[in-house]
Amino acid sequence: MSRVLAAVATLAIVASSFAFTSNVALGHEHRSVGPYTFVVGWINEPAYVNAANGLSLDVTEASSSKPVEGLATSLHAEVIVGGGAKKLALDLATDEESPGHYAGSFIPTKTGDYIFHIFGDVGSTKVDERFESGPNTFDEVISTDPLQFPDRVPANADLAARLDLLQTLVIAAILIGALALLVSVGGLAMRRR
Amino acid sequence: MRRLAVIVACVLGGAVLLSGAAEAHANYVRSNPAADARLVKSPAEIRIEFSEPPDPKGSEIQVLDTATGKRHDTGPVTPSGDVNGLRVAVGPIGDGGYVVAWTATSAVDGHTTKGNFVFVIGNGPIPPVPQIAEAAPPPSPLEIAGRALSYAGIALGLGTAFFVLFVAPASLDPRRESWLLSTAGVLVVAGSLMLIVDQGAKLPQRLGVMLAVRAFAGLVLAAVSITPRLALMRPVAAIAGGGIMTIGPLATFRPRRMIALAAGIAAAMTATLVSHATALGSLESMALDFVHVLSVSVWTGGVVALLWCVLLASHDDTAEDARALGATVWRFSVAAMIATALLITAGVLQAFNRLVLINDLYETPYGIALAVKIVLVLVALAIGALNLLRWGPRLRAGIRARTALIRDTMAETGIFIVIIVAASVLTALAPPAQPSASAYDQTQHVSGLRLEMLVASGGAGRNTYALRVHEGLAPVTGAEKVAFRFTMVEHDMGQQELIATERAAGEYVAEGSPTAMYGTWKIQTIVRLAGKEDVSTVFTVPVSAPGGGLSSPAPPLTIGPYTVIVFTDPAAPQAGAPLTLSALVVGADGNPVVGKKLHATFSGPSSQAPLDAVEDAATLGPGRYKFDIAGLDPGIWKVTLAVGNEGTGAYSLVVSR
Repeated sequence: MSRVLAAVATLAIVASSFAFTSNVALGHEHRSVGPYTFVVGWINEPAYVNAANGLSLDVTEASSSKPVEGLATSLHAEVIVGGGAKKLALDLATDEESPGHYAGSFIPTKTGDYIFHIFGDVGSTKVDERFESGPNTFDEVISTDPLQFPDRVPANADLAARLDLLQTLVIAAILIGALALLVSVGGLAMRRR
Repeated sequence: MRRLAVIVACVLGGAVLLSGAAEAHANYVRSNPAADARLVKSPAEIRIEFSEPPDPKGSEIQVLDTATGKRHDTGPVTPSGDVNGLRVAVGPIGDGGYVVAWTATSAVDGHTTKGNFVFVIGNGPIPPVPQIAEAAPPPSPLEIAGRALSYAGIALGLGTAFFVLFVAPASLDPRRESWLLSTAGVLVVAGSLMLIVDQGAKLPQRLGVMLAVRAFAGLVLAAVSITPRLALMRPVAAIAGGGIMTIGPLATFRPRRMIALAAGIAAAMTATLVSHATALGSLESMALDFVHVLSVSVWTGGVVALLWCVLLASHDDTAEDARALGATVWRFSVAAMIATALLITAGVLQAFNRLVLINDLYETPYGIALAVKIVLVLVALAIGALNLLRWGPRLRAGIRARTALIRDTMAETGIFIVIIVAASVLTALAPPAQPSASAYDQTQHVSGLRLEMLVASGGAGRNTYALRVHEGLAPVTGAEKVAFRFTMVEHDMGQQELIATERAAGEYVAEGSPTAMYGTWKIQTIVRLAGKEDVSTVFTVPVSAPGGGLSSPAPPLTIGPYTVIVFTDPAAPQAGAPLTLSALVVGADGNPVVGKKLHATFSGPSSQAPLDAVEDAATLGPGRYKFDIAGLDPGIWKVTLAVGNEGTGAYSLVVSR
């Protein structure tokens, strides 16, 4: 009996591991594009800032769920932040063990929403789609602060902001010092008179 | 001639310091129908409440059909009976979108403000809100001139009276004092008349009374300046009904100076009584404003009196003369120090009420003008300090310094002239802090943008969320995306998103019921502008428990082991109109409960078939269920909710006609 239970438990663990490592995670957006289904999300979720990650794209035929291969050259992808403030073209890499799966790696360096712009051709179908992170699609990039222990390392953006503030304070201090010097010199001049 | 120019400049400078205190605007606070309301039948009237008392005579409310442009308001605008409210009757109107275009004239200072809001009858789309080119038109040149002259007169009259009563030496030349007082009186009268002419036919009654009182105070100032001469012909003046100016004691110095001081204070009081502080009805603000006006008058008017009556009229050729002059300068310096301390204290406290963020001081036109004014006042104070610490001691030591004192006072004059420009801009602009009827109204400054979050109701359930996006005071229009993401602090309710649409310039609005449960909610706002990175921040919004506010929902139901929060959309259902009954099911651990079957049965004025709830966690959020009801007859309905087989609870639903 114990052997049966052990076998069932093993099967359950294996099954769940498949579920967790599946390319089609829950935090992905599914969208029909012509006769195809696009599934878009992050390679690793949750997506943490400053951690290696990237676009995870799966393309299948909508009618048969058959993976669509060979799109690495005809399909293009770029990642966009904000209203097009910055864009990065992504090289789509294929995975021999996962037909129809494409990945474009990069390291997200800011928290918040990212947009994957996928365009090009899938067979005779023109593709020009934007997939945006959000509560109903795929995860936004989040901070690693809650995970850091025992010391928290400030993010680059925070350090840059602090340096900017420091620079402003230094300039203000120089101006105040110069003003004080002028007043002192003026006072001395008047005293001599 | 140069002396005259100096005095005029000083007076104008004082006027400008004063003029920053009085600026009132009647802004929209709330209305019935509310902005963006959806009605099922024609309203009988439009009622609008403003932030300050409006004058019906100079105000207008138009109700326009957005499709045809036809006007549907009937009859005159009258007081509504609400606080600061106006109403206008509306003829029967059919389904469609309507714009309410209002113009309000402040009963306090006669300033005009304009605005629009829309509502819709029936199921059509809510129409866009037409833009207003100038919601708060700047004051006319005549008004600015009128204000400047009358404030200059107040400062000169009050400051001179104070100076000659408490600071000046006994040997003061009364002709110089009379000259200043008569000038003050003429300025006050002329300024008041200009303000009356500027208002024209729309002059609010209250403002008219205040300006008349101010003009009378000006006449008194002018009268006391010539009483020594009038006293000689008292019988003639008495026959002519000259009144106060012919009373015997006025011919002597001290009583007429006291009367001049009282007239100056009375005129200053009228400045406060037509100010923003009075319009808001805050005694604290009024007191601060009055202190501000009095102290600035004592300072600036006193500087002019010191210059004209003492410095330009005296000598310091001998050590004795210099010491006497030094004693006068010291007495004035003490008075000026106290006045400026009060001036700065009152000004800073007032600034706290008018500015929202410290960034306003360099980002908004109002703030920039205020900052320039503050800097210039500080420079003027520095010069005053120089007089106090440098030239005062020299004079008191018997050393000549009168020429230097006159030179420094002239420098102060130059600064006052520059202040005129800053304060002219200041008075032409509305301050950043504007009243709001929203239950939640907070502003943050993020990445160069001012983000003002407004949540209409403080209760759980259906709500309206608005984000005003400004760069400085200019609205940021055409954002690619403005999104609100809601997460609850106390419990894991998941994250929900509403996408806002631009309802007015720089105002992005979304409606929904993401904050369905009372507690603390974090609303993350995301503003996406073309070519820029997203601007995101988080507002923490308390959602009140039942009984915590006017908009609170009904008390939660206890059904089996669950707490069920029920609310309707719209919050006040109307007969025959579609409505949604929403239920949030919360478990004993405080977290939403998913996967339940909710069933509703109805009993009330007529029959209504039982309904099963729809659960769609992806759209509605976890633990949220809804019943779509085509329409109910008017009356009180008892809705019995069942959660599976685990229990039932009764919810009372009022449907109005």
